[in-house]
Amino acid sequence: MTSTVDERLGGPVRKPPRKPKPAPTARGFSPLRALGMAVVWLFTALNVLVLYWLVMAAFKSPIEIFTKPFALPSYWIERGQAFRNLAYAWNNAGFGRAFVITVVLVAVSSVAIVLLAAPAAYALTRLGVRGANGLTNFVAIGMGIPFQTVVIPLFIGMAELDLTNNLFGLFLIYVALSLPFTVFLLTGFFRSLPDELEEAAAIDGASPARTFFTIMLPLARGGLITALILNAIGLWNETLLSIVFLNENANFTLARALFAFNSAASYQSEYGGLVAGVAIVVLPMLVLYVLLARRIITGLTLGAGK
Amino acid sequence: MATVSFAGTTRYYAGNPVPAVDGLDLEVADGEFLVLVGPSGCGKSTTLRMLAGLEGVDGGTIHIGERDVTDLPPKERDIAMVFQNYALYPHMTVGENIGFHLKIAKMAKSERESRVREAAALLGLTDYLDRKPAKLSGGQRQRVAMGRAIVRSPQVFCMDEPLSNLDAKLRVQTRTQIASLQRRLGVTTIYVTHDQVEAMTMGDRVAVLKDGLLQQCDTPIGLFGKPANLFVAGFIGSPAMNLIVGTVSGESAEVDGSAIPLTPAQRAALTSEAVVVGVRPEGWEIKAPGDGIPATVEVVEELGSDQYLYCSTSTSRVSVDGGAPEPIAVRAPGMSPWQRGEKLGLVPVPGAVHLFDAATGARLPD
Ligand SMILES: Nc1ncnc2c1ncn2[C@@H]1O[C@H](COP(=O)(O)OP(=O)(O)OP(=O)(O)O)[C@@H](O)[C@H]1O
Ligand SMILES: [Mg+2]
Repeated sequence: MTSTVDERLGGPVRKPPRKPKPAPTARGFSPLRALGMAVVWLFTALNVLVLYWLVMAAFKSPIEIFTKPFALPSYWIERGQAFRNLAYAWNNAGFGRAFVITVVLVAVSSVAIVLLAAPAAYALTRLGVRGANGLTNFVAIGMGIPFQTVVIPLFIGMAELDLTNNLFGLFLIYVALSLPFTVFLLTGFFRSLPDELEEAAAIDGASPARTFFTIMLPLARGGLITALILNAIGLWNETLLSIVFLNENANFTLARALFAFNSAASYQSEYGGLVAGVAIVVLPMLVLYVLLARRIITGLTLGAGK
Repeated sequence: MATVSFAGTTRYYAGNPVPAVDGLDLEVADGEFLVLVGPSGCGKSTTLRMLAGLEGVDGGTIHIGERDVTDLPPKERDIAMVFQNYALYPHMTVGENIGFHLKIAKMAKSERESRVREAAALLGLTDYLDRKPAKLSGGQRQRVAMGRAIVRSPQVFCMDEPLSNLDAKLRVQTRTQIASLQRRLGVTTIYVTHDQVEAMTMGDRVAVLKDGLLQQCDTPIGLFGKPANLFVAGFIGSPAMNLIVGTVSGESAEVDGSAIPLTPAQRAALTSEAVVVGVRPEGWEIKAPGDGIPATVEVVEELGSDQYLYCSTSTSRVSVDGGAPEPIAVRAPGMSPWQRGEKLGLVPVPGAVHLFDAATGARLPD
């Protein structure tokens, strides 16, 4: 025992291989693998290309956009007005106010969704509620209904309640329509938590509410954050409902403002400004996603074990 | 501290007509260390969980002291439990884990901290109080789970195989630590294990369960010396007792040519002609071939202090767990010169013979 240790210490420094050898099963050429790789790379390349085009076009003049779609921008830069399109979009589309409204609306809605969905998911998976399985499936059905199909009845109903052209009304709709998916996502998380912790908490004398708040919620934090981010991204980009339910500039969300700006800008052939407007709406979520991608992916697959 | 008593306690699981625990009658004295032991699926955990209030009771009652706790929720029972996987709260430090109950019980912070520190000191966890469970070794986690139980000074400790996740050496160490800690604290303890060595070394008394039925509850010596039936005889002791089928002829039982005398009371208690003769490995006298039961050495197991010979014979044997009957085990002094293939004769030492009714499995009166 000791002699091996001495040898190792005194002997030449051993260098590990630069790339660990793969398992025998993974070696060799497989057509399926090659095809898969090709598809993945193609998809990635296409997305990167679109993104590149979007970012570049936001700095170009309309002529550049149409004649040299993949070249680097030059027209505005040469004139010392590199950010002219972004400024144009920001000033003319009413993005300033829309940005604040969207941030607040998305944040409040996402938090409200998770606050409602988490206890619901907890009760469905953990409290042994009678008929919990059926109820979970019932909630899941909500995911299967495309919200586009209920827009009209929804509008009529909201109009009755005087909640159209009203941010609070939109908030209610966002929360209601996002609950099925979020509850379903969170049931997966809560189900994957070990039973014994709850039993330990019960023996320690914690009430179900206390167990939920001090034991289960902290443990499901990863899932809650995932749910929060997915909802935030979805609501940030949501356009159809905001078009249907909002018709006053003062209430516009970013997506809604962009839609209004779209007609105005294309009428004036302000394509540079239009693309810049799109970039302003899209990029914050892209940054958020890049920063949190790892977290989201672990979150989405976490319930899949066990 | 309190007594615990089960009276006719029965538990059914949904979709299973056979109860997991069937009419359990068991009295545990104040401060006693009672071990529940039995093969996998015999209902040990179910019994413990009924006592803890984690499982409903379908029939009978459970009392802790004078209180009927049958329908009380866990927090009103004043019990602490150590789980097999410890069930430590992963997002809390060791100190918070140990003090969680006290916090819920609204104990003042200063007193809580001193209680936690006291428990930690008792278990050698003082240096780890600020760590999260994920950064502890298996043995340390086990001690945190113990700490969480002892800090409460409850009326009863429930422990469900708390050592099964430890390696063999640590298990032996921790076994003695838990036993001595329990004696020091004097808290009534129900301890579940499927390891009969653990059961025999730790318990004041050991209750053997099989298929939800209590087979026998006695001191380790009583269990080892006077197993109440074939199951207990085969389950307790390692290597297991050799159970050999014999037939009654006249005043004795006949086993492969050897006669084992039966008392009149034993003969009266028999329900058929078939009798099972039980002899532990240490209960054999090794004689020259031709004397006693003829046997051939198949395997020699040298342990240094002892040697076990596994011998084939022409006797027919009973297997308690339903598997193929094992060869007859014989203990010889360590370093004996026995070789594989050698022939010998086996004679049971007088007084080391256990007799059972083959049909009912019950022990015959001595
Ligand atoms: N939640 C449950 N639902 C249905 N049947 C169960 C449930 N829990 C246990 N059982 C059954 O009840 C019987 C007793 O189980 P129990 O967990 O008490 O066994 P055990 O003695 O603790 O076994 P082990 O040593 O394997 O832990 C088993 O047959 C088991 O299959
Ligand atoms: Mg068990």
